[in-house]
Amino acid sequence: MRDRITLHDSIGAMEADFTGMTFTTEAEVEEFYDEVDRRMEATGKRWYFLVIYTDCVIVPEVWDRFAARGKITNIKYGLGTVRVGTSAGTREAIRQRAQREMFRANIYDTRDQAILALGEMRKRRETLGGAAAAGSGETQTILSVEEIHLNFGGVKAITNVGFAVNRGEISSIIGPNGAGKSSMLNVISGFYRPSRGRIYYEGKDRTHLAAHDVARLGFARTFQNIALFKGMTTLDNIMTGRSLKIKGNFLTDALYWGFAQKEETAQRERVERIIDFLEIQAVRKTPVGRLPYGLQKRVELARALAMEPKVLLLDEPMAGMNVEEKEDMVRFILDVNDQWGTTIILIEHDMGVVMDISDFVVVMDHGGKIAEGTPGEVKSDPVVIRAYLGAH
Amino acid sequence: MNWQFFVEVLVSGLLAGIMYSLVALGFVLIYKASGVFNFAQGAMVFFAALTFVSLVERGMNFWIAVVVTLAVMVVVGIAIERLVLRPLVNQPQITLFMATIGLTFVLEGLAQLLWGSQPHGLELGIPDVPIQWLADNANINISQFDVFAGLIAGALVAGLAVFFQTTRIGRALRAVADDHQAALAVGIPLRQIWAIVWAVAGFVALVAGLMWGARNGVQFALTFIALKALPVLILGGFESVAGAIVGGLIIGASEKLAEVYLGPYVGGGIESWFPYVLALAFLLIRPEGLFGERRIERV
Amino acid sequence: MLYREAGQFKTTYAADQQVFPIRQDRIAVAALLVVAFVGVPLFANQYWLSAILTPFLILALATLGLNILTGYAGQLSLGTAAFMAVGAFMAYNFALRLPWMPILVSFMLAGLCAAAVGIVFGLPSLRIKGFYLAVATLACQFFVLWALQRVGWFTNDSASGVITAQKMVILGYTFESPADKYMLTLCVVAVLAVLAKNMLRSETGRKFMAVRDMDIAAEVIGIRMMQTKLLAFGISSFYCGVAGALYAYAYLGTVEPEAFNLDLSFRILFMVIIGGVGSILGSFMGAAFIVLLPIFLNTVAGPIEHLLGITLPSGLMSNLELIVFGALIIFFLIVEPHGLARLWQIGKEKLRLWPFPH
Repeated sequence: MRDRITLHDSIGAMEADFTGMTFTTEAEVEEFYDEVDRRMEATGKRWYFLVIYTDCVIVPEVWDRFAARGKITNIKYGLGTVRVGTSAGTREAIRQRAQREMFRANIYDTRDQAILALGEMRKRRETLGGAAAAGSGETQTILSVEEIHLNFGGVKAITNVGFAVNRGEISSIIGPNGAGKSSMLNVISGFYRPSRGRIYYEGKDRTHLAAHDVARLGFARTFQNIALFKGMTTLDNIMTGRSLKIKGNFLTDALYWGFAQKEETAQRERVERIIDFLEIQAVRKTPVGRLPYGLQKRVELARALAMEPKVLLLDEPMAGMNVEEKEDMVRFILDVNDQWGTTIILIEHDMGVVMDISDFVVVMDHGGKIAEGTPGEVKSDPVVIRAYLGAH
Repeated sequence: MNWQFFVEVLVSGLLAGIMYSLVALGFVLIYKASGVFNFAQGAMVFFAALTFVSLVERGMNFWIAVVVTLAVMVVVGIAIERLVLRPLVNQPQITLFMATIGLTFVLEGLAQLLWGSQPHGLELGIPDVPIQWLADNANINISQFDVFAGLIAGALVAGLAVFFQTTRIGRALRAVADDHQAALAVGIPLRQIWAIVWAVAGFVALVAGLMWGARNGVQFALTFIALKALPVLILGGFESVAGAIVGGLIIGASEKLAEVYLGPYVGGGIESWFPYVLALAFLLIRPEGLFGERRIERV
Repeated sequence: MLYREAGQFKTTYAADQQVFPIRQDRIAVAALLVVAFVGVPLFANQYWLSAILTPFLILALATLGLNILTGYAGQLSLGTAAFMAVGAFMAYNFALRLPWMPILVSFMLAGLCAAAVGIVFGLPSLRIKGFYLAVATLACQFFVLWALQRVGWFTNDSASGVITAQKMVILGYTFESPADKYMLTLCVVAVLAVLAKNMLRSETGRKFMAVRDMDIAAEVIGIRMMQTKLLAFGISSFYCGVAGALYAYAYLGTVEPEAFNLDLSFRILFMVIIGGVGSILGSFMGAAFIVLLPIFLNTVAGPIEHLLGITLPSGLMSNLELIVFGALIIFFLIVEPHGLARLWQIGKEKLRLWPFPH
């Protein structure tokens, strides 16, 4: 197994060469990933993966295990994966798998193409400077909320809710209408001050920070009812996301030529990458008010991404979308998580989506937490089933 | 400082305050019903007073002139609703506000175009002299006219309060104020309600115009009455009839007291801004006003 | 066919971020500047220079100031004239008490004083919004005028409360003739307008608009509400303050506080609305429109009187003016809330497609 794994320091990638291999038992899968994990662990940093699937056979019985281990390794040590499959059949199989499991296939005909793509990926990550680079060596938990209570006058919106969010994971808060999900998100983004309880970010107490200071820490969010700047173009909306990164002040702005112009152009370049990533090039100069709903949601995500957040809070990002738009949005969310290692906390009604893409799920009802765990655990929890059936 | 003088200042302030309330009431009615902050209320007062006084000067009987002016005000109110507010439905409140500033200019111009711009005196038959009994027995000078105006204003305010509390129209109005959509959904004829409210606001403007006109003469300066009512509204909240009354009293009394006891130290004439600063200071402590409800912002 | 950007490609972001990305626009603006700087002083008569063009430029500057606050940052103010008054009277005092200081520096310092006053009266904007705030700015209007009338220092204890602006001397040259004053005003206004344009098309402008359009979202992006709103008040008041100083020095000459009454504040607000909320070009259009309208009405009135053989009552024109102003405001708010600037833009888009309908 060992000779199948090569570390390429120059491009920061680990190459796993499956050429001519056959995985027929789960034990083989475990053996392989144990070895990978051990090697990664020893280096103490994160890597890109380059996987060669040429003439490789993975029997259907072990696929699930293979995918599950792959995901864990990716979360722990990965920065992104590119794959090589020389036969069209292999490529198609992986594409289908990717679609079902909602990861990005990134599969190429030749190793050279894959390495080229990997270079692109690296460039994107370096310029956008996501959180993942800081990755290893720090604790797993990036954010924890503890014993949160929130009252409006006499109305209790949240009672005693606490949970922890792991770095680089997608966590979801679900629950019936009026369960307090949005209030929870508002507490996390600093918009509501909790009546009791604490919020820790990177181990530090940030309970009392105001929304704009929470943004400074590296939190970005989208809103359930789109909160774009209606009078501005798509480009300007996304540029506002760079607000915290832009140096200069109103005086340098007034004397545009020179400093401010350089700054503006530099920021514009970064924003253009996000525009490319979310595929909204065509509406760059359109006032956002004129965009259809689905695109507005995408622009809002773009604005949040422009902040280069470490934690991204999404309040029902797929609400009111058609199937196609939903699929796009899911792909973007997974890509963001996958490529930039951004921690994502998400509220969503579409149970299918939540169960498919989440690493961790918190279930709320009547302002309290009734369950938490992996999607599998939550799905089979009788309390959760009762809450949902009761809600209908 | 002698107490009689203090009482004189206080009472005359309170009586002036009731007159402010009267103007503020016009604002509150329209705001409650249609969510419009009608800056033109002052111009309406001027328009009403000028129309009335011009009719009387042309030999019309007092009461007939009242009825005719009232009819004119109702027409004006309905026209405003039709021509200005209806096309602006669903616009931001601030746009409506600016539209009513435009309306102010139109009404001022129209009033003077129709009746000329020279000032008129207005005689209601109540002399502006101290009440003899009080002057004799307590050595306090309080103008008969002020008391009369205060009583009229008080009666009007009370009457309106009863009208809106007990009648069907009043209930409909409150429903409309609460939620336009819901009111429409339960079959309340919104347009009709708005027309009624504008008519009532026109009536209030007429009464205020008569009172202030008799006091200061019917002239262009009457339009500035609206500026006096604004701090009252900030203090009392835009949606509260009770707030308009209490706010008026507070502003009236404190303004007079400040002018008399504080004015001499700073050069006088502080009436122009003192109510505003008072209202602002208050606003910073309680942004929702005296009787307003605190709003929870939802995201 | 003449006005088209086809064939003009942008290959850098810097080129795409120009103020006038279309070549024809650049040519038109250059031509306009030549006319303003060379043609007008050569050919315009004294009346036009001193009674129309100079006040137009000054009011356009004040309108631009208010537009920064109201149109871009979304904070309605009814105290514009007060900020102008601060500028006018402080410029007077700087020139009076520090006679060695260059007059343009006095104007700038006066603008800074206005900015300080603007920031103080902008403080309530942190807690209140919309017309509550508008009413709060009225406090500024009344307070400032009161202070200028009652505190002798501001008017150098002039008995009548009227001040006479000193002569404007720059580098030994005295700006006295209407053409001189026009040129000076034009230079100041042009420079300040360019600076404003730069500010508003970059980060500062985006912050203002973010606060205007959706304050909650702005905060979540990390924009500080307090700083941004106060900055808008400060910059806006600075522009109004400089406009006020010019109003006193290049236009009126002798000034009393009453010249800066509420009526002027409203007039400038109207210029913003008619010209175009949130548009620099609109500020100039609005100012031009409102300056020219009375002249237009009077010009029309003459022939009408002649034609009908009647004499219109003297008050008629001023009242008609009020009605037309008010009606126009309502008209624009209903039909085209973005004012003349928007109409101009629509016209240009039509021109771009011409001769095809779509």
